Amino acid sequence: MLLRVTDLEVAYGPAPALWGVSLAVRAGELLSVVGPNGAGKSTLINTLAGLLRARAGTIEFDGHDITRLPAHRFCAAGIALVPEGRRLFATMSVRENLELGSLLAHARAQRARSLEHAAALFPVLRQKLGAPAGALSGGQQQMVAIARALMARPKLLLLDEPSLGLSPLVVQDLFAAIRRIGADGITMLLVEQNVATALQIAQRAYVLEQGRIVAEGDPESMLSRAEVRRAYLGSEP
Amino acid sequence: MKQPAVVTLLAGGALLALVPWLHLPAFYESILYLVLHWVLLATSWNILSGYSGYFSFGHGAFFGAGVYTTAVLAGKFDWPFLATLPMAAAVAAVLGLALGAVVFRVRGVRGEVFALLTLAVTFVLATIVLNTPIDGGPGIYLSGVQVPRLAPTQPGTFYLLALAGAVGALLVAHVVQRSRLGVGLFAIHDDEDAAEVMGVPTYRYKLVALAISCALAGLAGGVHALFISYVTTGEVFSITVPLTVILMSVLGGTRHWAGPAVGATAITLLLYAFTKGDLALAGKATTGAVLIAAILFMPQGIVPWLLSLRRAAAPAAADAAPRETVQAPMPASTPRGEALLRATALTKSFVGVQALAGVDIEVRRGEILGLIGPNGSGKSTFINVVSGHHAATSGAITFEGREIARLAAHRIAHAGIARTYQIPRPFAHLSVRDNVAAAAMFGGAALSASRARAEADHWLAFTGLAVKADALPDALNLHQRKFLELARALASRPRLVLLDEVLCGLNPAEIDDAVALIRRIRDAGTTVVFVEHVMRAVMALSDRLVVLDHGQLLAVGPAAEVMQRRDVVDAYLGTAHAAAGH
Repeated sequence: MLLRVTDLEVAYGPAPALWGVSLAVRAGELLSVVGPNGAGKSTLINTLAGLLRARAGTIEFDGHDITRLPAHRFCAAGIALVPEGRRLFATMSVRENLELGSLLAHARAQRARSLEHAAALFPVLRQKLGAPAGALSGGQQQMVAIARALMARPKLLLLDEPSLGLSPLVVQDLFAAIRRIGADGITMLLVEQNVATALQIAQRAYVLEQGRIVAEGDPESMLSRAEVRRAYLGSEP
Repeated sequence: MKQPAVVTLLAGGALLALVPWLHLPAFYESILYLVLHWVLLATSWNILSGYSGYFSFGHGAFFGAGVYTTAVLAGKFDWPFLATLPMAAAVAAVLGLALGAVVFRVRGVRGEVFALLTLAVTFVLATIVLNTPIDGGPGIYLSGVQVPRLAPTQPGTFYLLALAGAVGALLVAHVVQRSRLGVGLFAIHDDEDAAEVMGVPTYRYKLVALAISCALAGLAGGVHALFISYVTTGEVFSITVPLTVILMSVLGGTRHWAGPAVGATAITLLLYAFTKGDLALAGKATTGAVLIAAILFMPQGIVPWLLSLRRAAAPAAADAAPRETVQAPMPASTPRGEALLRATALTKSFVGVQALAGVDIEVRRGEILGLIGPNGSGKSTFINVVSGHHAATSGAITFEGREIARLAAHRIAHAGIARTYQIPRPFAHLSVRDNVAAAAMFGGAALSASRARAEADHWLAFTGLAVKADALPDALNLHQRKFLELARALASRPRLVLLDEVLCGLNPAEIDDAVALIRRIRDAGTTVVFVEHVMRAVMALSDRLVVLDHGQLLAVGPAAEVMQRRDVVDAYLGTAHAAAGH
């Protein structure tokens, strides 16, 4: 078990966003968390990245309790976030963006190899290394965001809505890349509105509703549950 | 009483006008004069900088223009003192208008650039005054100028003048905050581009606010010239004036007309409470500590903090205002099916990139037109150009037969076009209802403030956001923020609405609801153009599809037909969707 979350509670001021959430991520798996907007998916992922404080509960990663650590220590422990909306440093070059992903000592030592690996994963970026990140198309920016997170050599990659605003062709490529990252042995937790695809590529999934986990299981069984289909897949397949 | 604040101000002013007849020691009258002097200056600064967020560091220039106008006219040309005061205000206002007419035209001059630019103006003006006969170097003595006796003592007279100025400035600030101008300035503060596209004439509003602000600062300068009776450029054009008024306004609260006055009173009294004796140094340190604490714990300022306390104490009474029924969008002037908007040979180039390379697109009245294409193909640019957010490089756009390609964004909004942003851009400091009401006030519908609020409630109900009407946009999740964008666009009762990826980030079930909503918008008579990547929605909604690729038109036609074209599949859809496309 790489990550174990127990009875997690997170609140914005007095308004609770997560109530007693418990989940586990096994080493090497791709886990999807699905649910409606406002269910707390981004809150969960930001808490796991250390950006939000838990009000109660524990986060255990790789055998250590990291609940109370500051955000940069989450990264040092081996958790990297690909934030919703990409959040690149727009005026800096793609190369600089990627290098910023590898500030930690163990990541810095492998910077050259990581860069080569990123370029192999997303060949388009090879010609774009000198371009300002803000000048790239949406799909390319998302690739930079993922590559930047990988530069930290994480054990767990958190992906928050990676397909947001991307065209179908680009989404197809992106999910293919996510599969390849998984094949390299990196554990991933994916939050995605594109529920059908998110369930297709995941090994396991949780359903989050109004701040609570309401279902857990393998994707096929999720897809066959009528209430999941109705709630998240809409009228068409 | 409709305007209790106005009555309180006038009554308070009248009461305070009696102070000179209490025969206080001159020292106290002078301190009271200084309090009112700073109230006037801080309030005048706030009308532009606090409301619209254009922080000016140049208030010393406008204040100094007033000082020197009065000093020259009264000291060198023997004008009666009171007659110089309107001139002091006018000269400062003209200076502000001249500056604003240049800098407000440039989109890049915002935030810190504007602050530095206004600071530079102060030094330029000081240099001119110092090296011309206006001053010439030695300063101007005004001890010979006759000051009319409005009160038993001379300090009393200055006190009365400052009182009149301060009450006047507060009245102006109050009226502006409640007016369209105020709503427009607050919108500019939060997102100027979004405000302009919504119909706020941002250039004119900033200019008017700057002129009012400068005139009041000039007036304060005119009075102050005689109060200090010896003026030098070094004293007058110092950095102290702008820094002090900014501190006062921020301490009191820049988003409320009374904030700067409260801040000015607090700071002036604190500073003078400690000027005497051995306590002076300890006093200054205490003042500094108090200020730091106040700004740490009340970042919004004293007045908004007090108001929030009062709100918390008295739980909001249910809003029982009767809802006016609002009729659906404006009547159509061309029959359904005819061209509503036509773009001809439209191009848009950014540095090194041609985002639109000569496209011809026709939007027919009453249809839902889907606009698709790979990322970077020019879809959002098309919406940005049609809505006036970006100017077209070449080509023509006609809307209802009228050429709009060269119009300012707010005029396009008035003509009946509204848009949403891909990443929602609500006005962060306005409530959800006020966000929508602002669109109803400034857009094509041009409603009065009270009608706009009723209209806002209608569209909030339409989009299911009624329960969030009093919340700030911050409290909304992405889904709700998207719908707030939609409500804002609809509240201006557009005849054409441009939707930039309203569905992105929604899950399939939420998309089904949104699709039904968009159908209802069209059924109510508004033509819809929407950019979208969610193919199920594109197929469900579009009457016709336009496909862009590399800034050029790749395909136009009925959705089912276009989706099966080989080139569209290759450029955009990929194999997975081509199979599912039927």
